[in-house]
Amino acid sequence: MIIKVKNLVKRYGDLIALDHLSLSVNEGEVFGLLGPNGSGKTTAINCILSLLSYDKGEIEIFGQPMTPDAYNIKRDIGIVMQNVAVYNELTVYENIDYFCGLYVQDKKLRKKLVDEAIDFVGLGDFIKFYPKKLSGGLLRRLNIACGIAHKPKLIILDEPTVAVDPQSRNKILEGILELNRQGATVIYTSHYMEEIEQICSRIMIIDKGKAIATGTKDELKAMISMGEKITVETYSLSEEQLSRLRKLPNIASAVYKNQTLEIKSNKGQNNLETILDFIKREGIQFGKIYSEMPTLNDVFLEITGKELRD
Amino acid sequence: MQVFKLCLKVLKKNIPTMLIYIVVFLVVSLIMSSALSKEMQADTLFAQKKSNMAFISEESSPLIDGLKQELSKVANFVELPDEKEALQDALYFRSVSYILRIPEGFTESFMKGENVRLKKTTVPNSYSNTYIDLSINKYLNNARLYVRHIENISQESLVQHLKSDLSVNTSVELKNKSDKVGKHIYANYFFNYMSYSLLSVLILGMTALMLVFYNNDLRRRNACSPLSARSINLQFILASLLFTVITWMIMVAFCILYNWKNSFNLNTVYFMINSLVFAFCGASISFLIGNLVKSANAISAVTNVVTLGLCFISGVFVPLELLGDSVLKVASFTPTYWFVTGNNRIAKLAQFNHSDIEPVLSCMLIQLGFALAFFAVALVINKKRRFQ
Repeated sequence: MIIKVKNLVKRYGDLIALDHLSLSVNEGEVFGLLGPNGSGKTTAINCILSLLSYDKGEIEIFGQPMTPDAYNIKRDIGIVMQNVAVYNELTVYENIDYFCGLYVQDKKLRKKLVDEAIDFVGLGDFIKFYPKKLSGGLLRRLNIACGIAHKPKLIILDEPTVAVDPQSRNKILEGILELNRQGATVIYTSHYMEEIEQICSRIMIIDKGKAIATGTKDELKAMISMGEKITVETYSLSEEQLSRLRKLPNIASAVYKNQTLEIKSNKGQNNLETILDFIKREGIQFGKIYSEMPTLNDVFLEITGKELRD
Repeated sequence: MQVFKLCLKVLKKNIPTMLIYIVVFLVVSLIMSSALSKEMQADTLFAQKKSNMAFISEESSPLIDGLKQELSKVANFVELPDEKEALQDALYFRSVSYILRIPEGFTESFMKGENVRLKKTTVPNSYSNTYIDLSINKYLNNARLYVRHIENISQESLVQHLKSDLSVNTSVELKNKSDKVGKHIYANYFFNYMSYSLLSVLILGMTALMLVFYNNDLRRRNACSPLSARSINLQFILASLLFTVITWMIMVAFCILYNWKNSFNLNTVYFMINSLVFAFCGASISFLIGNLVKSANAISAVTNVVTLGLCFISGVFVPLELLGDSVLKVASFTPTYWFVTGNNRIAKLAQFNHSDIEPVLSCMLIQLGFALAFFAVALVINKKRRFQ
């Protein structure tokens, strides 16, 4: 086990930022911490890294207790903060070299690692640029390069894609998966459920400093009662038709709002064929029709009663 | 030494801004120092000045011509019409400060040995008029002596005698306590002004460095590395000290180059030591300010307020002798005051016995005390900020 956190409590006055949070991260996995803004993800990361003192709990990394002066542990950790933390006075190359140099003393090895990191994030054409000249996406990539250049065993990424364009975001996510394939264990925090679903092998959903569910995405989705969700764009639907629809088998709920009919099925059931038959039989005119499986947002909604982005 | 190198790179990035300050301050220091040293030299020399006067004579005689010639040594004659209003205007607008009128019959009465009076109108409280009074009295008193003791002396002969008597001059030599003192006027003023430029550059550089170095996100990123906080701080302090010493060396080198002839003596060594102590004190102040300033935009404003404030009340721009007692009392709580006092004492040093050096050393010790106090306060603030 790479990280083991037990009953972590962090208070800011009367506010409980982390409420007996426990988690474990296994070697080789991409562990996702998912939660809305202010749920305690960054606080948890800061406590794990000993950047913040905490009121109660135990934290172990690589089997040893994590403390501010546990320099042997820190040597194998790479950190990519939520805010871009690079020196505006240094060029792209100098920034990566500086942060890599905090971990690697050997000049030759460092040069090799820096070059690899530059290739990895695709900043080869910008090595002499100063950070202020880089776009938001390139800046985020530089931020990542600074965190991973020394090839750490454990990489912690705290919302690294905030305010990044989709193209750069995909590049970053692909990079993280590549790092994982190269052997690094990754902790990834985000409030974007799509990102978490895309790259994480195991996910913990947290809200108000508490862990509310942990597991793979399939395990999490299996926790809720909802199955397939079918959405139909239709311009007219009478109350009688809606009532008859609700009586069909395996329908958990059907709501017609803003010329959109949203039908949720019971867990494990598919209703697309039945619904299409019903629409044909009733002569309902429709535009688009599409079906989707439950998302992590649905999981969050069912457990907490609120949307992930609320 | 990653952090050390980083600090130097950050400082290097700020060189253009600091260079502007260094060049401007050095040029200003040079001009001011040169001007003031000339002024100081002028204070030790005597030069007679002539005042403007109107000489109105209602008669003409060799005696009066002789008087006019004698007065030309201490006055410039201005031609004015003999009208009341014109003469009053000339006095009011200061085109003349003295109007002398010789009444008709003056020569005849004087040669007979009678009591005579000249009429004068002057600008009130004008010290230059005293010279003219003295010259007139000297001329006429001497003339009277000849008239009394040589019977029937002709005016021409009298004027000849007076001319030869009054041309006798006595040379006067002014001596200072020590000839050496004058040599340090330039260095004294340069080192005093150096406190302003040195403090400004140190605050600018150190504050810019600290704003980068103590940026919260960067500090947290550094804190995640295997480099200990102690090592990071040591490297930072080392870079700051190097920066301080280099800045000090540039400024001192400039002084020595400009004042090459008078630089190789013990006074200069003491000036250098005093300024090095002040440089460390300046580094401490900069470290404290760096902990308080939170944005790059505030750096210039803080630099100007702190340096100008400290230098104005401490005798850098205005000599200490001209400052009031209450100002001096306040100034004694600033390191610049003790730096300037130390410089002034060093400039007057002619001998280097223990008793001569002691007052200078005490000024340096007080500056060191200030340096330690500022550093301690800065450390407390720094620690508080780190745990916020």
